Amino acid sequence: MIKRIFDWLKQPLGLIAVGIAVLALFSLAAYGIYTTQQPPEQPIQFPHQTHVAFGIQCLYCHPGAAKGPAAGIPSQAKCWGCHNQIAKTQTSLLLAPLKDAVTSGTPIEWVPVAQVPDFVQFNHRAHIAAGKNCEDCHGDMSKVTIAQNPQVFNMGWCLNCHVETAGQDHEKLVKLSDCGTCHY
Amino acid sequence: MATLADLKISEVKLSEEQTGKWGMVIDQDICTGCQACVAACAMENNLSFVGEVDSGYGRSMHWIRIERFWEGAYPEVKMTPNQPMMCQQCGSAPCEPVCPAYATMHSQAEQLNLQVYNRCVGTRYCANNCPYQVRSFNWRDYERPEPLSNQLNPDVTVRRRGVMEKCTFCIQRIHKAQDKAKSEGREVVDGEFTTACAQACPANAITFGRVDDPESLVSQLAHRGHGVKHLEELGALPSVTYFKGG
Ligand code: SF4
Repeated sequence: MIKRIFDWLKQPLGLIAVGIAVLALFSLAAYGIYTTQQPPEQPIQFPHQTHVAFGIQCLYCHPGAAKGPAAGIPSQAKCWGCHNQIAKTQTSLLLAPLKDAVTSGTPIEWVPVAQVPDFVQFNHRAHIAAGKNCEDCHGDMSKVTIAQNPQVFNMGWCLNCHVETAGQDHEKLVKLSDCGTCHY
Repeated sequence: MATLADLKISEVKLSEEQTGKWGMVIDQDICTGCQACVAACAMENNLSFVGEVDSGYGRSMHWIRIERFWEGAYPEVKMTPNQPMMCQQCGSAPCEPVCPAYATMHSQAEQLNLQVYNRCVGTRYCANNCPYQVRSFNWRDYERPEPLSNQLNPDVTVRRRGVMEKCTFCIQRIHKAQDKAKSEGREVVDGEFTTACAQACPANAITFGRVDDPESLVSQLAHRGHGVKHLEELGALPSVTYFKGG
């Protein structure tokens, strides 16, 4: 039985069939990887570059970054603080979900983009205090609309920067390369 | 520039004098066996609720447990004092060298035994090599029905099936306190924070702190004289001191 299948696969038509199957599997895998690299669908196509162009600091909307582990995504109250004074808010199609959310009192469900896995304990504050800038990890927000990850957050990348930052300081290197600093 | 390879394991001194950094003192005479520490630990550290059936197979999960023993032969049996038992954070831990995946590492920064969940492949060798039997294994993904799912501590990883876990001396609290102190430009002061078990204990039987600081409450207590370290003869250099019959 198995021999018959092999014999059939060895003839030209069989080879073509194998080729098509391999190609299909490969493109499926490639598509799978491609989808993981796409920024998720957001409730509002939030234009980061416009806000940055107005000179709004990252920390104005994400103040948690300077104070604690999570940078935070602003609530609609924060958006509304500026937007209710902007005439365009009333007419813009892009901003309709914001207007709806504020009038109906339902929260906007933003999808976090820059995330680390559950087994990584990341603290924004320590990184800001060490003199890191937001764009070092999150990319230049004056160029993108909705947030995208310019950088795949993996351990080698984290550790490279940790070791570089520690430099010759042995005590710092011990702390920054300790498993328990991020994993617990 | 120094590299990771410079941090050789051989640099860790495993001498008798090594004191470690964090330590605990447990007074068995005042422990009432109320289990408040056990409950607090489970809440703080996202422990799974194993249930009756799996517990029956000896798969119950605790990072701290209250041990009781009986002395003497019937009818003259005498109960020994309650003995809270958790990971002793050994200076020379038997669990560490046996891990094939380097998932149970010795933290050089905090002098604790770490369990790196994402590295653990679940051989359970460490648990079998632990003289205190304080490691527990996630045999399943145990369910957390509503509203229990809402009480998870965001500072602690939720472990999945197939990994080992154990008491961490509430390392998340250590980091939090250090982070807070650093943001205020000072050192962590003794008593500023404590572990979940010590915080919950109504009898104050558990004291936690820096054992390398002679001024801290925990080192003062540890040097009172009659404290014992469990299974000290194994040379594992545990960081928990017990008082009994003082
Ligand atoms: S909470 Fe305190 S008194 Fe109660 S069992 Fe734990 S150590 Fe003993």
